[in-house]
Parts: sequence; structure tokens; C-alpha cells
Amino acid sequence: MNVRISASLVVNDMGQIACMDCGHEFGPQGKPWKEAAQIDEAPLKGSGGHPYSNASNILLRRFYCPGCAKLIDTETALHGDPFLNDIVKL
Amino acid sequence: MSAVDPITFSIIRHRLYRVIDEAVITLKHVSGSAITNEGHDLMVSLYRADGSLLMGGVGFLHHLTSAAEACKAIIRRFEGRINEGDVFLTNCPYTAALHTSDVYLVAPIHYEGKLVAWSACFVHVYDIGAMVPGGFSPDSRDIFTEGFSSPGLKLVDRGEMNTDIMDTLLNMVRAPEMVALDLSSMIAANNVARERMVALVEKYGPVSVDQACQSLVDQSEQSFRDRLCELPDGRWESRQYFDIEDETYRVLLAMTKNKDTLTFDFTGSSEQSKYGINCAYWASWGGFFAPLFPLLCYDITWNDGVLRPISMIAPEGTIVNCTRPAPISLATVGAIQSVNNAACICISKMLSASEKYAKEATAVWHGSHFAIFMFGQNQKNQEAIGIMTETFGGAGGGRSFADGVDVGGEIPNPIGRMANVETTESHFPVRYLFRRATSDSGGAGKYRGGTSLEYAIQQHDSPDGGIHYVVSGKGTKFSMSDGLGGGHPGAPCNFRWVHNNEAALEGKNINPFANSAEEMTGEQESISWGVFPLMDRDVLYVRSDGGGGYGDPIERDPANTARDVREGAVSEMVARRIYGVVLDDSGAVDETASEEARAVIRNERLGRVEAAK
Repeated sequence: MNVRISASLVVNDMGQIACMDCGHEFGPQGKPWKEAAQIDEAPLKGSGGHPYSNASNILLRRFYCPGCAKLIDTETALHGDPFLNDIVKL
Repeated sequence: MSAVDPITFSIIRHRLYRVIDEAVITLKHVSGSAITNEGHDLMVSLYRADGSLLMGGVGFLHHLTSAAEACKAIIRRFEGRINEGDVFLTNCPYTAALHTSDVYLVAPIHYEGKLVAWSACFVHVYDIGAMVPGGFSPDSRDIFTEGFSSPGLKLVDRGEMNTDIMDTLLNMVRAPEMVALDLSSMIAANNVARERMVALVEKYGPVSVDQACQSLVDQSEQSFRDRLCELPDGRWESRQYFDIEDETYRVLLAMTKNKDTLTFDFTGSSEQSKYGINCAYWASWGGFFAPLFPLLCYDITWNDGVLRPISMIAPEGTIVNCTRPAPISLATVGAIQSVNNAACICISKMLSASEKYAKEATAVWHGSHFAIFMFGQNQKNQEAIGIMTETFGGAGGGRSFADGVDVGGEIPNPIGRMANVETTESHFPVRYLFRRATSDSGGAGKYRGGTSLEYAIQQHDSPDGGIHYVVSGKGTKFSMSDGLGGGHPGAPCNFRWVHNNEAALEGKNINPFANSAEEMTGEQESISWGVFPLMDRDVLYVRSDGGGGYGDPIERDPANTARDVREGAVSEMVARRIYGVVLDDSGAVDETASEEARAVIRNERLGRVEAAK
């Protein structure tokens, strides 16, 4: 049985972190999963309408499921700052 | 000692709530400042005889725990000299307060000569004698220039005002009559709390009330530990950036949940700043409780029992645990708010990992205060000092089941609100050109973040030709309202000084009724920090940050996006590009075109742009 670990991810019967929608696997539970996602890193200022135009050199990272293209997670970051990693222990 | 019976326990519990309600009403009736009456920048709570939190009240929630430390500090300082009818004052941030402007008045409650409880309250006083009026002091480089600061004073001694102290304090502030009213409002609130508490003890007896209070704290602890046990163990991270002038600061948080305990670890956060956006230890402690109380303890009484399973690591000398004499006057809109935001996201990510509690998760609400303090002579030739209460207007974060509320306030103050335009115009010599929700400001998501607001003001009928204001803006370069579960962050803030006066000198036609920033004639200069004039025909334009979004934007119901476009919350361009929703000429969803647009977005995400074409 799948066990939910975030708004978009589950841990499946095989102990793998997987997309809640399509089941694409991201690696073993308890380990960071973001490296296995399809990652888009682009300036925040281009990510929305006019009110985002004064954003400076901040980046918006978008982590997509390689299986179904679902946007699983986002974070803002300055260039070179590490990913935010969340670990759920089951 | 047997426990009090359940019915009496329940009655006493509810009476404690009502004691606080009545004290808050009293405070508001006496206070005369907009920041208190309109913005609800206030707090009243009850504490046990040892100063520990008994019943958290309303207002800014990070004060519930800080006022407990204020009570404990007074108990230590005045040991053996705490008497019936006393009222104590402290506003030292290195003792308990958040910044010098937030003055705590705490009062012991005695019954038949024995100390049985404390009441405590705060308001952001009209002025505290800092470098600039209102208390926010962007040019201060130490606490010595941030106004009056006391680790503890006995303001009222056995029911008699200590006029030496009161007069000294009022001698050090601007608009002393308004500060006196602020202090009087808190004395009145404490008096009402004391009278109602004594009546409660009189009716049920000191033993029963003490038992009920102890049971209440124990019940909260057990309920909270039980809830934590229902949530998965793990470690969640969040990060907040904020900018002051050309400097960038980070608040890093790693929240670890292990069985029935939670640890908030701020290791790695920036070193303390030369600007007053630092906060001290107890402010960070209160900072994460502000979202924790409503998100994890919405059905649990907020008291010391909730605090017991929690620990915090905040390295000394950092922006979240600065050392004296670092400046701190802007802590509430600086590091504390980033602690609020970081904790909101970590807690929400933990909630999202639970089938049972995922619905309680939320993206960040109103990540950046955009406090503007005005000061100068008003149209009645009175000294006017005060905050533009739009800073409390906020923007709700998207949730797992609904959009964020447009201009929907903030989590740390569930009763925060803003004044209407006419109230502000009657107090300050200004007129609004416009005030409204901002299109495209809410973070995109399956459930989008609430829209922010934007407004523009101009001096009007000022005896001095204008007024001055303090901008203590952050969040202009970085978005501080993080999204959740794939939601985008809300849009950043923006502050602009529109130089119409220079434009007039150049012979340009000044539009006195500009209805948007684009319609204004003068050069628009982005500002975010310092003291600025608002003279003659110049304009101050302010745009707050939007709420964070929740979930993938292309999973949003297209009909909801069509409604957003119709209502001006989202532009047609963003609807198409971010949400993949195409509208026809009538504004209805073009379902075929929208399906194609979303397919293109999916392909772009996976690097299959050519295939989509």
C-alpha cells in the first residue's frame, strides 16, 4: 500500500519514493529525491505576471515528475544554494 | 488533591477565554491608536503564578510565549516585591519583548494575599523615542538609538501610579499623550483581567481553579503529544531570503519531528545584521509558535503544555538570536516574520505527509510586512504618527482544498485587519489615489495564493506641504511567501517614490487622478529602506506580496481561472502561460485550446518542446 509522504509523493510497496499520480519512482525512501526529478531552474521574475518583475537574482526551482510532468515541488534559491531536502521516516 | 470535576473544568476553561475577551475589548476601548484599534497589533493572555502560559489570547501570536518570559523576568527581578495591585513594564528585546515599540505590561493577580496568576498584554505604542517616529528605526546601528528600553519597571505600585516613572517615560517619547493612552489601555486591560480572575476564584475557590488550570496545561500537553505521534517522523527544511539595501540574509530552518517531540534548528542562518532586522532568542521562540498554534493546535488550548514537547536551536550571534547591543527595532517585520514563514512551510510539509492532516497544510500567507510609518503634522495641526495599516491586510496562502483568501491577513495574527481609506485620510494629511487587489500577485497553483493589495497616496491639505514616512521594506527582491506542493511563491513587494514634482518642473502634465502606477507621470524610483518625504504632488506607491500557491497550476480547474480573469485576479496572459487556460472572446474556457495549451506545458517541462510543436 502506498504511504503518503508529501502533497505529491508516496512511498510504494517496494520502498521507493514515487509520484502520487503516475507512480514514477524517484529512489529509495528516506533519501533525497529531488536529484531524480526533472528540474527547471529559472529567474523568478519570469515565472509570473507583472508583479514578479522586480524580483532580483532569485531563482525559482521547479521539480517535475519525469513520468507525467506533474509539478511536484518548488523552492526559491540563490544560485548555488543547495536543494531543500525533506526526509520522512516510515 | 483530587482533580476538579469535568463540568467545573469546562466552565473554568471557558471563563478564562472570556476573561481575555473582555480584557481585549477594554484595551481597544481605551487605546486611541490605529495600529491597536484598526490593525489589532495587540495581545492579551493569562499566565500561571510562575509566569508560564495558561491561556493564550488573541492578537499577534508570537507574543504569547514572549510575554511568558516577560512575566518570568519580572518574577526574578522583583522577587519579594510583587504585591497586589502592581503593574510592571518591560520592553527590552534582550529580556523578553520583540522590539522596544512592543511594550509589555504584566500584572500579578492575587487572591486573599496569595499570587495566583498573571495577566499580560502588549501594544505597539505610538512612539518609543527612537531615531525616527513610530519606533521603526532603519538608521539605527545599535539598540541605544532605538528608544526607551527597560528590562523591568514597577509602573503601578499597589494600585498607585508611579508617576516618576510614567513622567520619565513620557518625557522620552513623541506625542506623549498618545503613549499615555496606550499605557492606560494596557493598565485597564490588566485591571479587568484581574477583576474577572478574582471573581472566578471567588466563585469556584482557589483550589478548584488551580486544579483546573493545571489540568488545562496538562491536557494541552497530552493532546499535542498525541497529535505529534499521529504525524510521521522526519526532517523538513525551509529557507527564507530577505534583502536590506544591498545585503542578503538567510533564515534556514530544519524541523525534526521524533515521536512526540519537535525541534526547530536554525543553524546556518545569517550572522546578525548591522540593520535592526535581527531578533533575539525569545522572539525566534515565539516566531515559530505563531504558525504552530493555529496549524497544529487549532483545537488545543494554547498554553505551556504545548511548549513542553518543543526545543529550539538558534546559534548565538545570528540573525535569529542576536547579541546585545545589535539593533532590533524592525525585528517583527524582519527576522521574526521569516521565522514565521519558515516554520509555516516546515509544519505544512509535515502535515502534507499525513493522510489525516494533509488538509491542514497551507502555503505561506503574507510573507513580508511592508510597514510604512508616517509622521508629521496633519491637517488638524496635530502631530500624527502611525503605521499604514495595509501592512496587516496580507494575502492568504493557498491550501490543500481552497485558494488563499485575497488580501486575507496573515497567520501570526488571526484578528489582524486594516483601516478603511477614510480613517487613514482623517488621521494623516494624505489622499488615496487608489487601493485595490493586485492582479497576478497570488502564487500560481491548483489553489492559487491570495492576491495582495496595491495603493498609492499623495499628501493632501498638509500644513507643511507634506509628510514623511519610514519604509522598512524587505521582500522586494525575493519572494517570501513560499508555495507548497508545487505551488508558486507569491509575487514580491514593491515600493516606489513617484517624482511628480520634478516632472511638473519639467513642464509635464501631472495626472492628479492616476488610477494605476502606469498612469503616473513622474519618474518612478524603487525604494525599500529609510526615511523619505511625501511632498506636494509626489506619490508613494506600495504593493504588498501575494500569498503562496498550492499544487500544480495546470491542475487548477479551468473554470476557476476563467473566474479569476473575469474578476481581475489573474491576467489572460498568465492564465494561458502558467495555468494553460485559454479563454474565448466571451471569457469562457476554450476547452480544446486549453487542453492543447496544457499538453504543450507538460512537454516543455519534460524538454519535449519540439515534439509538442
